[in-house]
Amino acid sequence: MRTLAEIKAFTREAARILAREKDLASYEIYCATAEHRIARLSYTSDIPSRGLEEFKSLHADGFQLRVAMRRDPHEVGAAFEAGDFSSDSVRDAIRRARSAAVVDPHFSGFPATPLGKVGASEKSDLSRVGDGAIAAAAWDVLNGALTTFAKRRAEHRTDHPGLIIGGDVSVIRDRIAIFNSNFTEVRSDESAHFNASVTSIIESLDAKGTATALGDSAAAMRREAHVLGRDAVRRALALPDGARPRAGKVRVVLGPQPVAEILNYMVMGSLTTGSFHAASSAYHAKFGAAVMDSRLSLVDDPAFRAGAIRRRISCEGIPTGRVDLIRDGKLVGLLSNFYDTNRMLTDEHRVEKLGAGAPAKLDFPPLSGYRLGEGGGRRFDASPGSAGTNVVMRARDGVGDGELVRAVGDGIYVGRIWYTYPINGQRAGDFTCTITGDSYVIRDGKIAEPLAPNCLRINANIAQVFEHPLAVGMRPRAATVWGSPEAYYVPAIAAGSIALAEVGATI
Amino acid sequence: MYADLRFEVVFNRSGAAVNGEPRDGSESENAAYTVSVHVADRAGPAGHGQTGSEIGAIAGRSTKLVTELHRGLDEAYERARFSARKKAELIAHLGDAARGLLVAPLPPREKVRDDVDASYRRDPRSLSTDELKKISLDASHQVAALGDAIAYQVVAAMTELRREIFIDTAGTVVSQAYAFSQGDCYVVAQIGDGHQETYDSIGQQHGLESLSDGWRGELMPNPDLAKFCVELATEARELAAAPVLKPPEGEVVVVTDPHFNGLVSHEVIGHPCEADRALKMEAAYAGRSWFLRSLTDNQRGKQVASPLLSACSDPSLDGYGHYRYDHEGTRGLRVMHIERGIFSGFLNSRATAAVLGAEPNGSARASEGWHVPLIRMSNTFFLPGETPPEKIIAEVEHGYYVCGNQVPSISESRENFRISARRVYEIENGQIGRLYRSGSVIADSKSFFTNVDAVGNDLRLIAIPNCGKGQPMQIKRMSNGGPTLRSRARLAGN
Repeated sequence: MRTLAEIKAFTREAARILAREKDLASYEIYCATAEHRIARLSYTSDIPSRGLEEFKSLHADGFQLRVAMRRDPHEVGAAFEAGDFSSDSVRDAIRRARSAAVVDPHFSGFPATPLGKVGASEKSDLSRVGDGAIAAAAWDVLNGALTTFAKRRAEHRTDHPGLIIGGDVSVIRDRIAIFNSNFTEVRSDESAHFNASVTSIIESLDAKGTATALGDSAAAMRREAHVLGRDAVRRALALPDGARPRAGKVRVVLGPQPVAEILNYMVMGSLTTGSFHAASSAYHAKFGAAVMDSRLSLVDDPAFRAGAIRRRISCEGIPTGRVDLIRDGKLVGLLSNFYDTNRMLTDEHRVEKLGAGAPAKLDFPPLSGYRLGEGGGRRFDASPGSAGTNVVMRARDGVGDGELVRAVGDGIYVGRIWYTYPINGQRAGDFTCTITGDSYVIRDGKIAEPLAPNCLRINANIAQVFEHPLAVGMRPRAATVWGSPEAYYVPAIAAGSIALAEVGATI
Repeated sequence: MYADLRFEVVFNRSGAAVNGEPRDGSESENAAYTVSVHVADRAGPAGHGQTGSEIGAIAGRSTKLVTELHRGLDEAYERARFSARKKAELIAHLGDAARGLLVAPLPPREKVRDDVDASYRRDPRSLSTDELKKISLDASHQVAALGDAIAYQVVAAMTELRREIFIDTAGTVVSQAYAFSQGDCYVVAQIGDGHQETYDSIGQQHGLESLSDGWRGELMPNPDLAKFCVELATEARELAAAPVLKPPEGEVVVVTDPHFNGLVSHEVIGHPCEADRALKMEAAYAGRSWFLRSLTDNQRGKQVASPLLSACSDPSLDGYGHYRYDHEGTRGLRVMHIERGIFSGFLNSRATAAVLGAEPNGSARASEGWHVPLIRMSNTFFLPGETPPEKIIAEVEHGYYVCGNQVPSISESRENFRISARRVYEIENGQIGRLYRSGSVIADSKSFFTNVDAVGNDLRLIAIPNCGKGQPMQIKRMSNGGPTLRSRARLAGN
């Protein structure tokens, strides 16, 4: 992984080369170096397994440049180059960017936002943590899981317990440097965070428990590794031989992970200027209107103190900032990048797309333009899109877990869901998923027996979850979603009348 | 010790247009490698380590390339050694409680030497990027001409050439090349209060000719890109005006078309037939398999479907999932998953084949040069029967004709699914009736397959361009499909 000084120096040199090209009206050079180190767990008690199935790393260094031509300032082209930080590669990329150029009538140039007073990077010690610490953390997870399982009660002991431990300990770190012809300085940023998730399945008990952690320090990673395996196995051991309720419309408590998953797959994609421009937002024509219960607010905050992801500069060189998305239930802001902001503000159908409740003076600051890869790290070859960082849902008049369960009375506590997709497209807001673990039956306002994993499918709409909840939790808790670039900090929510369908027991 | 190295170079051109206006063009090349090392500690257990890196133009500078490969190999080797040591410590500490960690080393095999060429008429390297921009813009123009009901549309076209070389310490050297060309179209249509989002792709392992002129292959034909996009947008416009399906109570007769069955074969046959998933290695991410509870309690040799139903994966066919060798240097074989209703086998890697007591069938493949291989589908599909689809529909007194796949949601072991369709038609007395949107099929997998009572003679494959698996997620291209099927299932609307 390249140092920040290296990529800043290269960006400066590339900018000098670009400035000498007479046919360019404006340009941008973006340089990223990223690394994803993963220790992936795979243990099965009854099938030979490696324990650490994959101990691997992915490295990606490179740059991307975008050029706008003098003969037509709407003629814009892009090219990227991996690995090679030489003057020759810059010249070759300029040639390819010229060849790739298209006349995009909606291209409105590159950002000119002043840097202002951006604080120095809070450099995480995860930016220099080595393989040994990551692998040791992964083996510590496994040690904790197996040690806890070895101490299980006598009635849970069988010759073939079918214990499965899966998950991973991952460290994602990236550094960027960016300059465009409107800037007076090279801007840079770096971040590092870890993400660990552990799934414990005990097939002989038909039980599944999970544990996850996010953080931005090596000490937190070590601390969490020590307890994650233990916690996941303890949760599974607490959920043996669960009930398989009948289908029907049921009151539920959705724990933090289900709330995060529904937000990730169903809501966040709808809270972008791009989705409103495309007429594909679930909140089409509802900007400024109430879209959630008035107790709920949702923000994206790259400087959230408890957040795992810290970003000071977007991948377009713009200082990042908190974006209020939903305030007291009303849709008040959207994630946006520079292109999409301008596209939305000049969209001739914007009034129809945003709705009558939108303010006359529109403002969608492009604070969320990131170029991300599949693992959530910044990539040199990705185009700027709109993405969140630390997504925080807060609830006014929130209640404790016991009160949430009491609000449901009779129903299901849903601790984990899986494969949540917008089954009829994003705009419809309909979703379906299955309940996979960490879940219980609620009876008479109390947690009763465990729920068997994978026995119920949820068929619902986001409005049923967020518009009229029975109660909302008081405290946002960290939750991760597989493959998501965002970290979630969300409360549990109690919702009424959610349709559940039975899943036949096969395995 | 065993080690292998996979090195890949990719040349790609693409173009995109939005709402009848140009949006993007690109010409890019990249290079990457992955090394994988298996090493046994003195105490016995094997450790494994991998490194993957994108190196771009460094690939063209031999001194720097060799230095980088050494760095990667050293890193992977140290990881493997560290892992072996930690595993030995854990086994010593926990004894029988860690017995699952005792895994046999990979069985030896014959070395392979081969060189496989890509199939294309128009070399992606010698085209102009302007051609990609033009065909996407032309298609987008034609979609825009359908009128104001098309609220938003994106058309993208891509053509690329990949060449990879695989070597291992056992002496295998395999070089393979692939040409991929793909067209994608996303449409949002709205009429009054009705709206419809639709997305689909065409893709071939051939040159740009497969998009510019269309492709007339028997298994996976496609029209040219513009015609494909116009048909998709026309359908979206029709659907935006159609009523939402009001689902009937209970199970009904459903006739599912080849495009819909492409996603069924992908989600409910292909994925649970991946041995890494079946052996619980994916339990934390993509789930387990309804075909295998344990090595002794599983569906091998058991009835899981109607005797009319068979399914297989065949990488030798000319589909989007075609290849000759996988990324462990193993020849890709046709694997029967279901033969006349009986479950018969998994897609595997060398390691999972050893655990299952099977021969490796060459199904371990990575999405990019820097990724580790996972077990993946190739061309995975239901085999055809002999009944014309018209007859299958004509025999239905009351039921639903379910056409085109849209969005899947599958339960953890793939034992249950809800898959939405693009179009649902009512069938009355053998006649196709009213069109509905937002309809889904919900069923338990075994029940759906067991209730199949007719299999069409109209096998078609479709390109699946974006199958996600692994951590971090790898996005893979493959083909899936089947003929028209008739079964029973519940339907859902919104």
